[in-house]
Amino acid sequence: MTEGRDAAERPPAGVAGRTYPPVTFEIEPERVAAFARAIGADPTRGVPPTFAAVYALGVTAPQLFGDSEAAVDFAKLLHAEQEFEWDRHPQVGEKVVSHGRVASDVSRRGMRFVAFETATNDAGGKPICQSRALFVIRR
Amino acid sequence: MSKRLVTFDRAMIAAYAEASGDLNPIHLDDDFARTVGLPGVIAHGLLQMGILAVVAEEAAGGRPLRRLACRFAGVVEPGDTVAFVAEPAGPGKLALRAVNQRGQPVLTKAAAEYL
Repeated sequence: MTEGRDAAERPPAGVAGRTYPPVTFEIEPERVAAFARAIGADPTRGVPPTFAAVYALGVTAPQLFGDSEAAVDFAKLLHAEQEFEWDRHPQVGEKVVSHGRVASDVSRRGMRFVAFETATNDAGGKPICQSRALFVIRR
Repeated sequence: MSKRLVTFDRAMIAAYAEASGDLNPIHLDDDFARTVGLPGVIAHGLLQMGILAVVAEEAAGGRPLRRLACRFAGVVEPGDTVAFVAEPAGPGKLALRAVNQRGQPVLTKAAAEYL
């Protein structure tokens, strides 16, 4: 694993407040049906609520993980908590736009806690979903 | 009350990995999982949360969920059987839980709200 900083003496300053460029994602019917089957939902009943794990968190978290300045060690990452709030659920075939943001980034007792939020809007800019993930990174 | 008993297996975890795009090898590769201190591959927390949401929707009578939250508190391995339960907790609110075959909670602080 990369160990480029003197973490023992000085915890990283963190990247709280950092935002990432918006990501557009099309809610494709085949993808929705496969996701529904994978969680035991009825694939004929539209977009399962937690498909937000794909269209919101799934498209934006890689921006955080790929950000070398954020320095999130994927091999030591735990997804500790998750919350989704919906204004509405998207329709199959719809295009949505997700904005990822580091809400907080705190290190204590050898653990780093990164709260990562994603706001997903429809093509007209109206809100669809807010995702709040808490990642814990062990040292 | 709505309830589902789900026994996890590798095929189910792999299907969720593919469908969700979360291909982290801790869900797919036993050898890799052991290198990060796990007993072997584990189920995605979001797979558990997805099943919990299906049970919550049943308990909500098909009305759309407005909010869903949980803490990923325990590891779920292939062969584990988890009971996912949703119970009314006031108007528009559900208390949720997921407990494995040893009685250990795997999702905690779990709750949903619906319209």
